Amino acid sequence: MGKSSKKKNKVILAPPLPPELDEDDIVVSDDDVEFVEKNPQQARNLADLDKDAIDGFLKRIADHDDDKVELLYEERERKRRAAEALKPRNGDDIEVDPVDALPVKTLDGKVVYRPAKKARSGDEANGVKSRSEEKGDGATQGSQKEPKGRSSKKEASKLQNLQSPTEVPKENLHSVVLEEVKEELSSDELFEKKKAQLAELGMALLEDPESNIRSLNDLLILCNDMDQKVVKLGIMSLLAVFRDIIPSYRIRQLTEKELAVEVSKEVKKTRYYEYTLIRSYKAYLQKLISLEKQPYFYLVAVRCLCSLLDAAPHFNFRESLLASVVKNLSSSNDVARKLCCEAIRSLFRNEGKHRGEATIEAVRLIAAHVKLHDCQLHPDSIEVCLSLKFDEDLGKDDSKEDKLKPKKNKRYQNRDVAKPSEKKKIKKEMLSKARQEVRADLRAVSFTLDPKEKKMIQRETLAALFETYFRILKHSMNNSRYKATSVFPGGSHPLLAPCLEGLGKFSHLIDLDFMSELIACLKKLSGYTDHQGEIPPDNALSVSERLQCCIVAFKVWRNNLEALNVDLQDFFVQLYNLILEYRPDRDHGEVLADALKTLLWEGKQQDMLRAAAFIKRLATFALSFGSAEAISALITLKHLLQKNTKCRNMLENDAGGGSLSSLVAKYDPEAKDPYLSGALATVLWELSLLQKHYDPSVSGMASNVLSMANLNATQNPVQLSSANPLEAYKDLSMGLELSKPAGKVLTLKCKRKRRSKEFVALSPDVLQKADCTVGEDELREKLQSHFAVLRGISENERLRTELNHTLSSINMYKEYKKQKKQSKKSKTGRKKVTRS
Amino acid sequence: MAKKLGKKARKFANKHLQGGAKRSRKLRSQFNRRTRKDGKGREDGGRLDGDGDEEMRRSEPTMNTQEDVATLANSLEFPEDENEFDGDLSDSDGYLSEDPECPHYSDSEDGDVVKDCIVKDGLDGQNNEMNLAVKKQKKKLKKLLDKDPEFANFLGKWESELVSHESDEDSDEQDEMDSGDDGVDAGDKNPPSDKILTSKTISEWCQLVSKDPKAPALRNLLNAFRDACRFGLHSNSLSTQRLQSTEVFYQIITFILSEADNIFRSLLDIPDDDKGKLMNLRNGQKWQDVEPLIKSYLRNCLDLLSQLTDNQILTNVLTRLRASAVYFSAYPSTSRRLLKILVHFWASGDQSLSLSSFLMIREVVSLLPDCLDLCLTKGYNTYLSSSKLVDNRNIKNIDLFMNCLVELYSLDVQKSSERAATSVGQLSAILRQVSKSKEKEDLLKIDNWQYINCINLWVRFICVNYKDCHNVHSLLSSVAQIIRGVAYLLPGMRYLPLRLKLAQMLNELLNCNQMFFPVPSLIFGCLEFREIFQKEQTEKTNIHFSSLLKVPRNLLKSRDFQEQCILSAIEVLSAHFAQWSYHVAFPEVATIPLILLKRLHEQTTIDSLHRPLKRLIDQVSENRDFVQRKREVVSFSPNDMSSVESFLEDEKMSGNASFTQYYESVSKNRQSRGRKFV
Repeated sequence: MGKSSKKKNKVILAPPLPPELDEDDIVVSDDDVEFVEKNPQQARNLADLDKDAIDGFLKRIADHDDDKVELLYEERERKRRAAEALKPRNGDDIEVDPVDALPVKTLDGKVVYRPAKKARSGDEANGVKSRSEEKGDGATQGSQKEPKGRSSKKEASKLQNLQSPTEVPKENLHSVVLEEVKEELSSDELFEKKKAQLAELGMALLEDPESNIRSLNDLLILCNDMDQKVVKLGIMSLLAVFRDIIPSYRIRQLTEKELAVEVSKEVKKTRYYEYTLIRSYKAYLQKLISLEKQPYFYLVAVRCLCSLLDAAPHFNFRESLLASVVKNLSSSNDVARKLCCEAIRSLFRNEGKHRGEATIEAVRLIAAHVKLHDCQLHPDSIEVCLSLKFDEDLGKDDSKEDKLKPKKNKRYQNRDVAKPSEKKKIKKEMLSKARQEVRADLRAVSFTLDPKEKKMIQRETLAALFETYFRILKHSMNNSRYKATSVFPGGSHPLLAPCLEGLGKFSHLIDLDFMSELIACLKKLSGYTDHQGEIPPDNALSVSERLQCCIVAFKVWRNNLEALNVDLQDFFVQLYNLILEYRPDRDHGEVLADALKTLLWEGKQQDMLRAAAFIKRLATFALSFGSAEAISALITLKHLLQKNTKCRNMLENDAGGGSLSSLVAKYDPEAKDPYLSGALATVLWELSLLQKHYDPSVSGMASNVLSMANLNATQNPVQLSSANPLEAYKDLSMGLELSKPAGKVLTLKCKRKRRSKEFVALSPDVLQKADCTVGEDELREKLQSHFAVLRGISENERLRTELNHTLSSINMYKEYKKQKKQSKKSKTGRKKVTRS
Repeated sequence: MAKKLGKKARKFANKHLQGGAKRSRKLRSQFNRRTRKDGKGREDGGRLDGDGDEEMRRSEPTMNTQEDVATLANSLEFPEDENEFDGDLSDSDGYLSEDPECPHYSDSEDGDVVKDCIVKDGLDGQNNEMNLAVKKQKKKLKKLLDKDPEFANFLGKWESELVSHESDEDSDEQDEMDSGDDGVDAGDKNPPSDKILTSKTISEWCQLVSKDPKAPALRNLLNAFRDACRFGLHSNSLSTQRLQSTEVFYQIITFILSEADNIFRSLLDIPDDDKGKLMNLRNGQKWQDVEPLIKSYLRNCLDLLSQLTDNQILTNVLTRLRASAVYFSAYPSTSRRLLKILVHFWASGDQSLSLSSFLMIREVVSLLPDCLDLCLTKGYNTYLSSSKLVDNRNIKNIDLFMNCLVELYSLDVQKSSERAATSVGQLSAILRQVSKSKEKEDLLKIDNWQYINCINLWVRFICVNYKDCHNVHSLLSSVAQIIRGVAYLLPGMRYLPLRLKLAQMLNELLNCNQMFFPVPSLIFGCLEFREIFQKEQTEKTNIHFSSLLKVPRNLLKSRDFQEQCILSAIEVLSAHFAQWSYHVAFPEVATIPLILLKRLHEQTTIDSLHRPLKRLIDQVSENRDFVQRKREVVSFSPNDMSSVESFLEDEKMSGNASFTQYYESVSKNRQSRGRKFV
C-alpha cells in the first residue's frame, strides 16, 4: 500500500519530499490499511493526496490539544485545496498517453490501438481543449493557489518532522481517535470527502479510461447522493469525463449473430468497454433529463446537456439529447435559452462533426415543437435556424437527384430488414453505417454520391424548415384576430418576425411549387383584402411585420430570378397604404426604409400612374416625420422621378395637369389604391416647404429634386449621395447623430450689441403688477411689528448683559475675600518675619 | 460690517428666540447655505473671464472623457466669483453732522412706549423675568457692598480692567471689519445726539424738510433714518436708545423712503427721469454738497433691506428705492452688495417681491454694465437650483423667474450668447453621454426638471433675440438637436407630458426662425389612444401636465390622462398648423395628422373630446380647402422660391383667416386653463 501511494506521488508531481518521508510513509501505510479495511468499497478510489492530508491531520490530532487542532483543521483544508488545484493539471499531464491510446475502429469493425507516442489527433485535441475550457475557471484558480498550498505542505511536513519521534509510541491511541473523529465528521466534511472522491474517480477515468471504465458507475452512484451540492458536482464531473472519453464514432449495438461469434480477448475487452460506456452514458442522460425538471438543477442540467450536444453530436442517444435541448430553446429562463440557442447554432455551424444528421433531426424537432405549442414560443427558438447553412445550388439540379433517390432508398431497405427499430432510426443508423461500412462499395460505384447524399440531407432539412415557416405563417394568418396574452416578446405572433427573416434569407431555396402559395400567404398577411375597403383596424400584425411581409415577398420573387409570373401589384398597394400607417416611435423606421429600398428603389421601372402616386405620397410622408424618414423618402422619390421622366411634370405647376392627367381628376390624399389617387394631376408643393427643413441634408435633397424641373427628361441632377434609402435612414437616425461629435458654436459679432430699455420677454400686464404697493395701514402695522421685535431683541440682550455683569460682580466677591485673606496672611506673615 | 452685525443679531435670535420670526430664519438659513455653496464654486473658479474660457474648453467635443462629463453633469451652473469689495460707502457709517439749532421736543409721550407694544411675542415674558432677576441680583450685590465697602474699590478696579480689555478686543475687531466706524464718530466735531427722538420732533422735522429741502433738519432726519435702519444691530448703541416708540420708527422710515428721491432731485436740480444729467453732474459743486447725504441714504437703505423679513415691506421699500436706483451707479461696490441681496430676494421672494427686485436689478445693471456678469451668473445659478423641483405651486414663479432671466440676458446679447453657448454645450455633452450608455441612472440626467428648464430658458432666449444676433442662429440648431435627442432617448407613453413640452418648445423656436420641423411626429403617440380602464373613471384624478415630466404608471390608462394628452396635443398641433397655415403646401402638411385626428374622433370614447377634436378637424379642413382654392389659380411652380414666399402674403398680414383666429382662441383657452391650475 505504501508502495502504491509512493508511486502515485510520483505521478502527480508531488512537492519535494522531505528526507524523513520513508519513516512517515511507514506510519501512514498502517493507517491506510485500517482505513481500507473499513471502507473496502472505496478503498480503491482513495487517492494518495487526500489520504496524506487526512492521515497527517489525524496523527497530529492524537498529539495536540484542542486549540492546536483548530489550526490543523485549517491546514488540512489548505492542503486539500492545494491537492484539488493540482488535479486538473495532473489530468492534463497524464492524459497525453491514455488519450492517444484511444482505440480506432476500422472499417471492418476491428478496434486498433495506436502506438502511444503518436501525435494527437484532431479530435483529441478538441476534447482536451473543450475540457480545459469547461474547467477553465477552476484550473486557473487552482494554479494560482498552488504555491500557497505547497508552502503550507512544507510547513506541515516540518511539523511532522518535529513530531515524528513521539509518534510511534502513541500509535494505539491514534486508531481510537480515528474512530471518534470519523463520527464527528460533519456534513461539511462529508461533502469535502465526496468531493475528493469525485475528483479522484474522475481523474482515474481520464487517466486510463480503458481500465477504469467501471468507475463511471461509481460516479453515477454519487450523483444520486442526498446532498444537492454533491449531485451538482457529480454531474459536472461526469460531463467532463464524458466529453473526454466519448469516442469519435458511434457505438453500434451488436447483433445476436455477432455476439455468437467467438472473438479474441482484446475485442471482448473493447466490447465490454463500449458496453459500459454506453450504459453509463444512457444512465447519465436519464439522470440529467430527470434533474432538468427540478428547479434547483435546471440550469446545471441544461448546461450539461448543451455541452454534451456540442461535444458529441455524433454519439449515441443524440435524439434524447437534442429533444431536451430543443425543448429548452423557448425556456423562460434567459440563461438556459441562450445556452441552448448557442448549442443548436454550433450544431448547425459545425456540421462536420455529425455530417448533418443532427441538423436535420434538430430542425425536425423544432418543427414538431412549434407544431405542438401552436406557434406560441420564444422567437429565439426559430431564430437559431438562421444559422443554418445550405449549398447555393441546392435547389437547382434536383431532377438528377430525384432519379437517384429511390435507388438509394431501395438499397437501404434491402439492407435493413433485420433491424427492429422504427423507420427514422433505421434511416439514421443506416446513414452512419453507409459511411462506416460501405464506403468502399460506394466509392467503387460513384464518387459523386457522397455530395449527393449531403444534398439530400440538406434538402430534407430545408423541407422541415419551410414546413415550420409555413406553419407559422398560416398560424399568423388564421389567428390574426386572436389576441393572445403571450409571455414572449413580439405580441401575439412571437415567431413571425424571425420566420419572415428566415424566409428572406433562404428565399432562393424555396421550391417553385410553394412559391405561389407563399406569396398568397404573404399577401394576406400584409393586410391585403380582396375588397378594397377598410383595412381591419384590429389587424393583429404590426406595421413593421406587414412591411416585412412585403419585403420578403419581393426578396423571394427577386431571388428566383424574377422569372416567376407572380403579380406583386398587391404588395405595392400595401406599401402605399402602410406608408400612412407608420408611427415613428411604435414602428421600426429601418424596416420602412428597407421596404422603400426593396420595393421602389431597387425595382425595375414602375408604371407611371403608380410611380406618380408613390411620389406624391412619399413627399407628403416626408413632411410629417423626422429627418431620417424624410431623407429615405426623398431619395426614393428622386429615384422614381429619375426613372419615370414623365412624372417630372409634377414638379411644375402646369394648369390642369396637362395631357397626362389620368381619369381621376381630383387628387385624393387618402386613396387606398395608387391607381385611383389622381396623383399625376398634383404639384409637389411639399418640396418647397421641405426646402425650409431644419435639417440641411433634407432641405438640400429637396432643392436637388426641385432642380430636376428645369432639366431635360434625359438629364439628371447632380448626385448628392449614392446612398440607398436604408443607408440614408441609418445615417440620419437620432442614435447615430448623437454619437457624432458636437459641432462647434461659432461666435460672430452681433449687429446690435446692446438692447435699449424695452422689455422683451415679460408681458406688460405682469410688469404692471410689480408697481402695486401695500396699503398704508398694513405697511404701518408691519413696520411697527418689525420694530417691536427688534426692540424686544435688543432689550433682551441688554438685560442679559446686565444680569451677567451683576452676577459676575457677585462672584468677584468671593475672589475678593480670598485675596483679602491672603493679604492678611502675608501681612501677618510679614509681621511675623519682622517680629522675629 | 453691517452684514456682520446683522449676523450677530441673527445669532442672538437663533439662540434665544424660540417662537419668533420663523420665516426669517428659514430664509436666512437658505441664504447661508447658498453662500456656502457659492463659496465652493469660487474655489474652482478664479477670475470670471478665465472661467468662461475654461467652460468653453470643457464643452469642446474632444473633452469627452468620463470624468469631464461627470463634472459637467453635476454642475450645469456657472462658477461664481465671490470677492467682497470693500468699497466707497463702507468707510463711513453714514452719520452726518447735525445742526444743533433744530428743534427737539422733550419726551412727553412716555406712556406710548408701554402702550404701543402691540406685538406680544415670547420675548416680553422673558424680558420681564430677566428684569426681576437683575433686580434681585443687584440687591444682593448692594448688600455685599454695604457689608464691605472695600469691595467697592476692588470691584471698580476689576471693572475698569474688564472694560479696557474689552475695548481692546473690540477695537481690534472693529479695525478689522470697518476702521471707519469709530473713527468717524470720534473724529466728528458734533458727537451724535443722544436725545430721544419723539414723534413730535420727527413730524416737525418732516414739515421743515418738505417745505424746504435744503433745511438743516434733513441731516437730522437722515441720521434718524440711519438709527432706524440700524436699530437692533448694536444692542447698546445710541441708535437703540434714541428710538423708543414704534410710531417714530414708522414715521422716519416712511417719510425718508417716500420723499428722499424727490428731495435729492430738487437738491441737485435735476428733473425726473433724466439719468444722463446725473452722470454729468458727478463732478459739480452741487454733487459734492449732496453726496454725503445720498451716500448715507443708500447705505442705510441696504441695512434696512438686509434687516427686513416681510415680503410686502420689502416690495414696498424696493419700489421706492427703484426711483433712486440711478444714484447707485456712483457706488459700484455698494451696488454689488445691493445686487447680491436683490438676487436673493428675486429667487426666494413671492411674485411681487421677485418682480420688483428683478426690476431693481435691471435698473442698476443697465446703469452699471460691470455688474452684469455677476447678475447673469448668480441669476442663472439661482434659476437652476430653484427649478430642480416643479410642482403646481411654484410653476408660475419659475416661469416668471425664467422670463426675468431672459430679460437680463437680453441686455447684452453678445455677452449672453457666449454664456448660452457654454451652457448649451454642456447640455449636449450630457445628452451625448447618456445616449452612449443609455442606462437608467444616466437617463435621469436628462429626465429631470433642471435639464428641461435649462433647455426652456435657452429656447426663450433664442426666440427673443433671434433677429438681433447671428450667434443665436447657430445656437438654435444645437438646441433643436438637443430637444430631438431628449425626445428620442425618452420614448414611450409615460413621457408624453415631456414630449408635449418639447413640442411646444420646438414650436416656439420654429416660429421665430421660420424653418420647417415636423413637430406632429413627436406627438403622434397621443393620438393613438384606444383603451381606457373603465375602473378608474369614478376616481377623479387631477393631472396637471405642466408640472409633470412622466406620468405615474397607474394613471397611464386613465381617462383624465388621455383627455389631458389629447387636449395638449390639439394645442401643439394647432400651433404647428398656424405656423404654416398660409403656406402653399399646407394641405400636404395637414394630410397625415388629419387622417389620424379623424380616426381618433371616430374611435374615442371620451365624450368631452369630441367637440375640440371636431373643431380642429373642421378648421384644418377649411384652411386646407382655402389654400387649395388659392393655389389652383397661381401659376408659379414649387421651385420658384420667391413666389412661394409671397403666396398669401396679404392674408397673412391681415391675419383674418379663420384658422389664425381659431389658434388665438386655443392659446387663450390654454392660458386661462393654466391660470386655473395655479
